[in-house]
Amino acid sequence: MLKKFLVLSFTIPLVLGPFLLSADELFCKQTANYTMDIKLDTEKKSITGKELLSWTNDSEFAVDELWFHLYWNAFQNNMTTFLSEGTRRRSAIYRFKKEDWGYCRVDLIKIVKNRYFEDYDLMPSMEFRRPDNNNLHDQTVFSVKLPKALQPGETILLEIKFRSKVPRPVSRTGTYRDYYFIAQWFPKIGVFLEGKWNCHQYHASSEYFADYGTYDVKITLPSSYIVGATGEHRQKIDNTDGTTTHHFYQHSVHDFAWTASPHFLENRENFEFAPGKATEITLLLQPEHKNLKERYMNAVKAAIKYCSLFYGDYPYTTATCVDPAYNSRSGGMEYPTFFTGGANFLTRKGIPRPEGVTIHEFGHGYFYGLVGNNEFENAWMDEGFTSFLDTEVYYAAYGEPFYYKYYFGIPVTFKEVNIPIESEGISRHRLTSDMDILQRFAWEFMEGGSYGANSYAKAELMLRTLKRFIGKDIFSRMIKSYSQRWWFKHPRPKDFYDVVQEFAGQDMNWFLDQFIYGSGKLDYAIGKISNRRERQPQGFFDGKYQKGSKEKSKKALYESEVLVRRLGEVRVPVDILIIFENGKEIRENWDGQYRWKKFKYRGPVRIEAAVIDPDFKLVIDVDRTNNSLMRKANKLAPLKWTSNWLGWLQHALEFFTVFGG
Amino acid sequence: MKVLLNFIKGFKSTGKAAKMVVLLFIINLAFSLVLAVPMYHSLKSSMGKSKAGERMAKGFDYLWWEEFQDDSKGLSTTFTPSIIGPGALLDNVENLVHMRKLRLPPVILIAGLLYIILHTFLAGGILSLFIQRPIKFTMKSFFEGAGHYFIRFFLLMLISWVFFMAISIFLNSGFSSIIDNVSRKALTEKEPFFLGLFFSALIFFLILFIQMVFDYARINIVVEDGKNVFKSALKAFSFVFRHPGSTLGLYYLIFLISLAVAGIYILIKSIIPQSAFIGVFTAFLFQQTFIFAVIWLRCWLYSSQLELYRYLE
Repeated sequence: MLKKFLVLSFTIPLVLGPFLLSADELFCKQTANYTMDIKLDTEKKSITGKELLSWTNDSEFAVDELWFHLYWNAFQNNMTTFLSEGTRRRSAIYRFKKEDWGYCRVDLIKIVKNRYFEDYDLMPSMEFRRPDNNNLHDQTVFSVKLPKALQPGETILLEIKFRSKVPRPVSRTGTYRDYYFIAQWFPKIGVFLEGKWNCHQYHASSEYFADYGTYDVKITLPSSYIVGATGEHRQKIDNTDGTTTHHFYQHSVHDFAWTASPHFLENRENFEFAPGKATEITLLLQPEHKNLKERYMNAVKAAIKYCSLFYGDYPYTTATCVDPAYNSRSGGMEYPTFFTGGANFLTRKGIPRPEGVTIHEFGHGYFYGLVGNNEFENAWMDEGFTSFLDTEVYYAAYGEPFYYKYYFGIPVTFKEVNIPIESEGISRHRLTSDMDILQRFAWEFMEGGSYGANSYAKAELMLRTLKRFIGKDIFSRMIKSYSQRWWFKHPRPKDFYDVVQEFAGQDMNWFLDQFIYGSGKLDYAIGKISNRRERQPQGFFDGKYQKGSKEKSKKALYESEVLVRRLGEVRVPVDILIIFENGKEIRENWDGQYRWKKFKYRGPVRIEAAVIDPDFKLVIDVDRTNNSLMRKANKLAPLKWTSNWLGWLQHALEFFTVFGG
Repeated sequence: MKVLLNFIKGFKSTGKAAKMVVLLFIINLAFSLVLAVPMYHSLKSSMGKSKAGERMAKGFDYLWWEEFQDDSKGLSTTFTPSIIGPGALLDNVENLVHMRKLRLPPVILIAGLLYIILHTFLAGGILSLFIQRPIKFTMKSFFEGAGHYFIRFFLLMLISWVFFMAISIFLNSGFSSIIDNVSRKALTEKEPFFLGLFFSALIFFLILFIQMVFDYARINIVVEDGKNVFKSALKAFSFVFRHPGSTLGLYYLIFLISLAVAGIYILIKSIIPQSAFIGVFTAFLFQQTFIFAVIWLRCWLYSSQLELYRYLE
């Protein structure tokens, strides 16, 4: 009876909880709802937990099995898919001891009786699945068979008991000394999409995908720990055994992560980012970074303010920023309403840390958090969008950063060298992105560098180019609309195409396809400018011989010509600016379809310079230097910079004499 | 007092050998210009007639530089924004300290090696001039001195490399392992940072110390016309360990002056506008004055050390 009561007391809020809120409070359909009660044993570095999951079949298909992620099993041996792919991750497990490995074990999974199902033990049917490869050492996905099919619209209630060993940090999650960053840590149901389970194994370069729902989580751990997590910190109960239970709640999110450390400096501020709209910012800071409090706080505020402006008002009541502990490998990651920054205690004004990473990870709250794309399959739809977002927000809030370099670990800024917004991502794109196309599954890129260059850099550059190509106003409306239209949903590339087309008022597939499904580069160049004095007629004309005049006319006429070339594969219409020596300017347009085009002029003045893409719309052009050509070279620049370089060299040579006479 | 006395004597001697300093400066400039010519052409060819040239004339076009860097090999890779301001000097200090991590292209390393050998040759001329009384510079006597001591100085250089290699291979890698270990177990980034800084300072000190010892070895050869380079090296070590206060005091006195000169150079050069030929020319002249001062300081160090050696021995 008591057991039944306990189960009921646990399940009733779970089933009803999300629906007790008004429609305004619930932002979307709550498909996967978790009520969890977990304990962290800081001695054994383990978690024991009980999870009640209510999952609704939102599809049009009957479902006869359920698939789950067990992400932490990626850290249980060195042969898992996650640790077999890429060397960067493997270096983290170098010198791993027995107690450093991590895992998640399911001890119980059963159906709890509701209107559609009777109590039923699913453990016997539990089976590890490998949808992406045949790696038998990988246990990051499992499935269970249902006793009968779950029909569309029906809800199933599951009780899951699990125990986890917290890994030493390999990537994103784990424990280092008494710092815990706990992410992707519980048995988590996959997404039933397009008639099948979309539940990929954990890969070295992939992130996550999940359905929206409500998370009602109680975390018990030693009272000395300060805790931060996804959502609202609703309650804190001190227990008699020296532990404290923290209660967190958040609806309309697709993940739940948390952190704990006795050393956090906890800062809270209520921030009104628009009239009548506020959110509570929590900053959990490492003591050695207490001097960075204002910088972190201001970065979060800038991110909330500008993201709300550009992509829709931030809908949640909390935003928790964690300054990660050194060696925790948890920096620069995002979870709904909860994210990590990263900084060095020596950072200084003009260096975009912690601001850049803080804005980026908060920004993921939009592209991944609110717009819930599939990070496994369409990584560019969150990484590219968020890279674009963080650059736009950073430059809007802080302006251009300075070039900087570390000497003996101390950053030195070069205030003479500003980094313009157009440089973001272009070098990576230029050097690496043609190894693949943008739209690949995250683990199918040739290498990590190509994944990054495509998913982050190329996608960001494509969006910035699109912004300048279709116009800032149209783009701003388009991107905001795309964002808000796909909040709490799972958009695919086509959905983005549709919104672009709608706002651009024309078919834009030709544009997007070249970047998303092509590996070509965009490179326009001014091939040549020439100015030739108009020739005097000489020879036979209609049978009559005409002798050319040797005297040059005082008022010479010139036949001038500009050759423009397309050196890359990508074709986009482009403007050309022709500047004459008297200051007159002519603008031309070229469709860029053929490899080159010549523009010819006749007049009393010569062409002084020609510039292709004068308004710098095509940010993704890999060679900007060849976009302009002048009749006369600037003589000062190479002389000036050779002279400066010469100073460095002369000093270097004198330095070398330490080793000689 | 001993230090100050010989420091002043050294200054006076260097003043009397100003023509030699000019010669050394011209050699440095000429040697550097050999590499500056291909760099000039590389920059000219990249900027060409592009608008990037205009932008680079006015300031620093970061976008152009990224393209140039992505496309560059060899010598061109050394053209970075850090050659502006303090970066030019800091780059060299860091390269010196982290020898193991030298990332300079082969052409620079070969040039550096040739310059070291050249300077080993010239050191004979420098010291043979400073030992003369009265000091009177002539090309003939300078190069005779250089030739006279070259073989021995060259052998000394090879011996000194054993010490430098030991610092580079054993100390640097040992320190790196310690830092890695500390870093793996550290609570904050401060621990490995300060340890790294301490090790860098220690390596820097050791490199300069070895340089100073071998300066005295060269001085020993010139003063005593010693034929055995090993013996001279041992005598130099013995001399420095018998007079640590005087030798280190003198060395670091001139080192501090060098730092002050570098500070003034960085400060003033940063305010010279270089957006017109006159500015570029002024900056060039000022830069050459600095290099001249660096060479002067090196000669001053030699002459003061020579005076100190004679004073104490």
